[in-house]
Amino acid sequence: MVLTIVLAPLLLVTLAGVLQLGALRVAAARVRAAADLATLVAVNDQDDAELARSGRLRLSADAVDVAREYFARELELSSALLGSAPDEIAAAADVAAYPAAPAHDAWTGARYDRPTVRIAAHVPVKTPVFGALAFRPVTTIDVLSVSSPR
Amino acid sequence: MKRRATASVFAVLLLWSSPALAWDPFPEDGDNTPPQGEREPDPVPFIAPPPGIYYVTDTYVADVVTSTGTLTTYSTTTVHESTGSYARVLDMVGTGASSAFDGSAFNGRRTLGDGRSVAGTYYENYVLGADGFVPVSIVFFQDDAELARLLAAVPVPAVNTPAPSIPATASPTARPSPPACCGTERPTIASPTLAPARPIQPRISLLPLGAPVAMLEVLRGRAVSLYPRAFVGDREIPVRSWTVIGGDAGDALVTAGSGAVAFRTSWRRLAPPGAVFEVVFRIEVDTPETGHRTIDTAIAVVVRSPALER
Repeated sequence: MVLTIVLAPLLLVTLAGVLQLGALRVAAARVRAAADLATLVAVNDQDDAELARSGRLRLSADAVDVAREYFARELELSSALLGSAPDEIAAAADVAAYPAAPAHDAWTGARYDRPTVRIAAHVPVKTPVFGALAFRPVTTIDVLSVSSPR
Repeated sequence: MKRRATASVFAVLLLWSSPALAWDPFPEDGDNTPPQGEREPDPVPFIAPPPGIYYVTDTYVADVVTSTGTLTTYSTTTVHESTGSYARVLDMVGTGASSAFDGSAFNGRRTLGDGRSVAGTYYENYVLGADGFVPVSIVFFQDDAELARLLAAVPVPAVNTPAPSIPATASPTARPSPPACCGTERPTIASPTLAPARPIQPRISLLPLGAPVAMLEVLRGRAVSLYPRAFVGDREIPVRSWTVIGGDAGDALVTAGSGAVAFRTSWRRLAPPGAVFEVVFRIEVDTPETGHRTIDTAIAVVVRSPALER
C-alpha cells in the first residue's frame, strides 16, 4: 500500500511525459507535412510568359506568396496544436524561391539545379504537460522543406 | 450397471433429438451464394476497341487534283464534322509503293502521269454497334504531287527510220532524214530547268505569334498548346494543316487540325530517366510561292513533376 502511494505519482508523471512526447511527434509530422505541401503547390505553378518565350520551366513570380499562403492554410488544420496563430507562423517563415537554376541557397548552403522553393520555419507547438513538469510549455519545431520539379 | 446406464442415457438423448431451430437474422436476403450460370448480364459490356482507333472529327469529302503551273497536286478534301464513326490508319504508302489494301478503298487510288500510284494513307472506318466496332469501309486519303512531264510536249525527231520518199520539191513540213552517220544516235534534249523550291523552315511555338521553341519543359498534367508554323526565309507563310505523325502526343484530343488550330495536349506521365518525349509534326503548306508541300518537324518535351528534395 505504501509502495503504491509512493510510486503512483512517479508512474503518472512518466505516463504523462510519454503521452506528451507522442503528441509532440504527431505535431511535428503535421507541421512538416504542411511545409511539404506548401512547397509542392508553389513549385507546381509555371511561369507562362517564360514558357512561351523559351519553352523553359521557371517558377511563377508569386511562388513565394503561394508557398506562404498554403503553409498558413495547412497549419490552420493543426491550429489546436500550435503555440501561435498559423498566419503569424507563416509570415515569420523564411520562404525563398529560386526561379532559375542553378542557384545557391544561403540558408542551407545547398545548390539547386532546377527551380526550387524552400520553406524554413520555426513552429511553436503547445506542450502543456512539459510546462506542468517545470519544462517549457511551448516547444519550437524547426522545419525545412525544399521542393523542385524533377 | 454403468454400461447400461450410459447406453440408456445415449438412447434417451437420441430419442429426444430434434433439428436445431437456427434463426436467420436476414431471411429476406435469401441465399448468399449466387447460383452458377445465372449471372446478370453486364449492362455495359466492355468492348475492346481495335488498336489505334480514334473518333472521326474530319470527314472525307472528295479527292482533289489541282494543277498550278507545272505542279499537279493530289489531295483530299475533308469537312470538319463528325458522323459518329471511328477510324484507324491501315497503311501509309509512298509514291509507287504497293499496298495490301490497293483496290479495297471505295474511292480508289489514283496514279501519277507515269503510271505510279499516288502516295497517301489508307483508313478503315468503323461504327460502334452493340457488338463492338464494326468495320464499314476503307478510304484512301491521297497526298502527293508531281511535276508535269514537259518532255512529252517536246517533239521527238524521227530516229533510225527509213527515209521517206522525198518529192523533188520538198514540202516545207517534211522532216529531213537524218544523215547516215548519225542515224542511230539519239539526240539529246536538254531537260527543262525548274526554279529551285525555296526551303521552308518549320517551327513550333506556344503562342500563335510567339517565339519558336525547339524544346519544351512542362509540368506533368499541365495543358499546353503548340502551334505548328512555317517560314520561308524570315517571312511566315500560312499552314494549311498539321498532323502528329510520331512521338508521344500525350493526352491530346486531336492529333490533326488546320493551321489556325493549336495542338493542345498534356502529359500525365514522365519520360524514363534521361529521356524526353518527342512529338513529330507533319506540316502542310500550300501557297503560290511554295506550292503544295509537306514538311516534318519535331519538338522535344521534358515533363517534370514537383518533388520534395528534403
